[in-house]
Amino acid sequence: MKKYQIEKILTVQSKRRFLLFALFAALLLISAAVNIMAGTIDISFPELFKIIHTYDTATTSGFIVWKIRIPRTIAAVLGGAYLAVSGLLLQVFFRNPIVGPFILGISSGATLMVSLVMLTTLSLGFTAIAPFLTTLSALAGAYAAMIVVLFIAAKVKNMITLLIAGLMMGYLCHAVTSILAAFAEQEKLKMFVLWQLGSFSGFKWNEIQILFIFGGMILVLVYTLSKPLNAFLLGEAYASTMGVNIRLFRFFIIFCSCALAGMVTAAAGPVAFIGLAVPHMARLSFVTSDNRILIPGTLLLGAIITGVCDLVARLAFSPVEVPISSITAFFGAPIVISLLIKRRVSV
Amino acid sequence: MRGPGTDTIMRTDTIMRTKDLSVGYNKKTVLSLIDLVFENGKFISLLGPNGAGKTTLLRTMSRLLPPCDGSVLIDQISLNEFKQDSLARILSVVLTDRVSPGLFSVFEFVALGRYPHTGLMGRLKKSDEEVIISSLAQVNAGDLVFRQVGTLSDGERQKVLLARALTQEPRLILLDEPTIHLDLKHRMEVISILQKLCREKGITVVASMHDVDIAAKISDSVVLIKNGRIAAWGPPEETLDNRSVAALYDFEGASFNPGLGSIEIKADGGRGSVFVAGGMARGAALYRLLAKRGLSIATGIIHDNDLDCYVAKSLGAECITLPPMEKIGQNKLNEALPLIKQADYTVDSGFPLGEFNRMNAELIKYALTYGKPVFTLRKAEDAWRFLQTDSENMIVCENEIMLLNKMDGYQK
Repeated sequence: MKKYQIEKILTVQSKRRFLLFALFAALLLISAAVNIMAGTIDISFPELFKIIHTYDTATTSGFIVWKIRIPRTIAAVLGGAYLAVSGLLLQVFFRNPIVGPFILGISSGATLMVSLVMLTTLSLGFTAIAPFLTTLSALAGAYAAMIVVLFIAAKVKNMITLLIAGLMMGYLCHAVTSILAAFAEQEKLKMFVLWQLGSFSGFKWNEIQILFIFGGMILVLVYTLSKPLNAFLLGEAYASTMGVNIRLFRFFIIFCSCALAGMVTAAAGPVAFIGLAVPHMARLSFVTSDNRILIPGTLLLGAIITGVCDLVARLAFSPVEVPISSITAFFGAPIVISLLIKRRVSV
Repeated sequence: MRGPGTDTIMRTDTIMRTKDLSVGYNKKTVLSLIDLVFENGKFISLLGPNGAGKTTLLRTMSRLLPPCDGSVLIDQISLNEFKQDSLARILSVVLTDRVSPGLFSVFEFVALGRYPHTGLMGRLKKSDEEVIISSLAQVNAGDLVFRQVGTLSDGERQKVLLARALTQEPRLILLDEPTIHLDLKHRMEVISILQKLCREKGITVVASMHDVDIAAKISDSVVLIKNGRIAAWGPPEETLDNRSVAALYDFEGASFNPGLGSIEIKADGGRGSVFVAGGMARGAALYRLLAKRGLSIATGIIHDNDLDCYVAKSLGAECITLPPMEKIGQNKLNEALPLIKQADYTVDSGFPLGEFNRMNAELIKYALTYGKPVFTLRKAEDAWRFLQTDSENMIVCENEIMLLNKMDGYQK
């Protein structure tokens, strides 16, 4: 193939990718707008435009938009994006296409630690840091679960075994959580059960601020890691001989993926399948494993899909709201099963 | 441009050397006392049985494993002192690790090799793209540019892995069994690419190899690894002979012949014995065929410089030989006759008859007088003219396959 031909194909390829990004960005905006407009009280687009333009919080519609719908939409969009990127990082790290924060038990570890705080009296005396306590305990749980999984992964290289180990982690954490729940006070239990179902409702603006700032910083760090992430796809040995500092890289990946997953779990409860399925959808749409493309791609797709899932969770059986994980499972589980059947899957 | 003076210095320069090196996993040494010197632009093959530590040595030399003891030096500097990316600009590897790179086009995959040359985000400059394209061209993979890596055959994949290693623009490439699992075409192609890199680009190639015969033909130097030690090291012309190769792999039923540059599988003789009247290179293929059939071979009377002599000796045949250009005399005939008597069959390879080997015709006649069956590859009328006999023990065979069939038939 001649050089000018190669350059031509490369230009076409990057144009196609740019268009796809533009399409996803547009879809994200549309889905966010629908999320804000649709509900038990529908708000028309001109009305919404006016409410946002005038920063109207006084009217009922204004209150609903600014205090309920917008925070919830932003939370769902950010949460979905973070979970998806976390999943992508884990898939590259383990070079295993069927892992994600939920499957590996990271979400369960976070849940366990949150249950310790929410169901027992351990939080007594920590009221000053109460808003952060859930987040911190979720992060601690996420890292603890990750360390156990890493330990198992060092012993077994098989991708199915790793998956089962993660599931067992999940069961164990769930068992402990159930025991704690059995002994918990009615009042606390109610709160915990609501949290555990997983939902992006009830987010306050200050929570969103924290999620946005810390998550955003981690995403920037993740994006700068995309070059070593690509090298890592060839395996540790090749990556190392290409110039990747493996130890530092491993640390950053684990740090970032657990922080992202833990952060979302703390605020919204465990949400299944986003971290697992979305990276595959990004790979298939962009037809590449290049993480410089996949990180922003996964981010956008995670945001769109979680936004849509949250909308469905809210409206499908309105006025009853179903847990978001039940909706994400409906599209995530078939993807996992098809990946397992095909077997010839790649990271 | 370098002047001619510096060029000579460069040529004698060593790129890598090992000093009292011991290598192994988890402090368990598998290979020790390694003192090797690799010169710029040379092709070095590591040979040895499986598990001898070739891979471990290669991994230590590429800093994937820490040495158990001693050190590896590149340009007189210890490997430990290199920064990760500066080492990556000198040395690249092709390993046997399974690579499942996912959804990468060959171009994107090979571009990963630019890692040590690009910035934080790995953005490719025009010059980087040129290196990628020329690397692919060097491994004859220019037409694979936009194929998906997952759809490549083993041979194509190996070439692409080689191209990736080249895009690092290294001065030294370490390869672990670069031709294993490849079909013959790709095996030869990969070997000739490696050789070209050495000769034309001055890249030093260090490869562990499992084919002694190929290694002998392409290497500037071979390293024989056995029993946790470097058994021998040097140019294959000095290092590889029947004894050293047999000792390296614990051969019993085979032998290596440096003259032929190949390995011959010895006959075990379980299915009888045969005397072949050979010479003039007519016997070589026949010996292999008979040895393959499990017949033990005796042959004569052949000159020392005859191809038949090399092959027969490699196959472990008993040979009656004489110096080149000498006329076969009665004494040699007397040496050969007991062998004919012992053998179950005699085979006439159809050697052309000349002044020096006229006596070999007598061998056949004696075999007939002893009542031995003689299988001949000559045409019937030639055989008659040649031997002046129409004994029914004279069995005419059109070709080697028919010869085998008739021998089988005779046994029954």
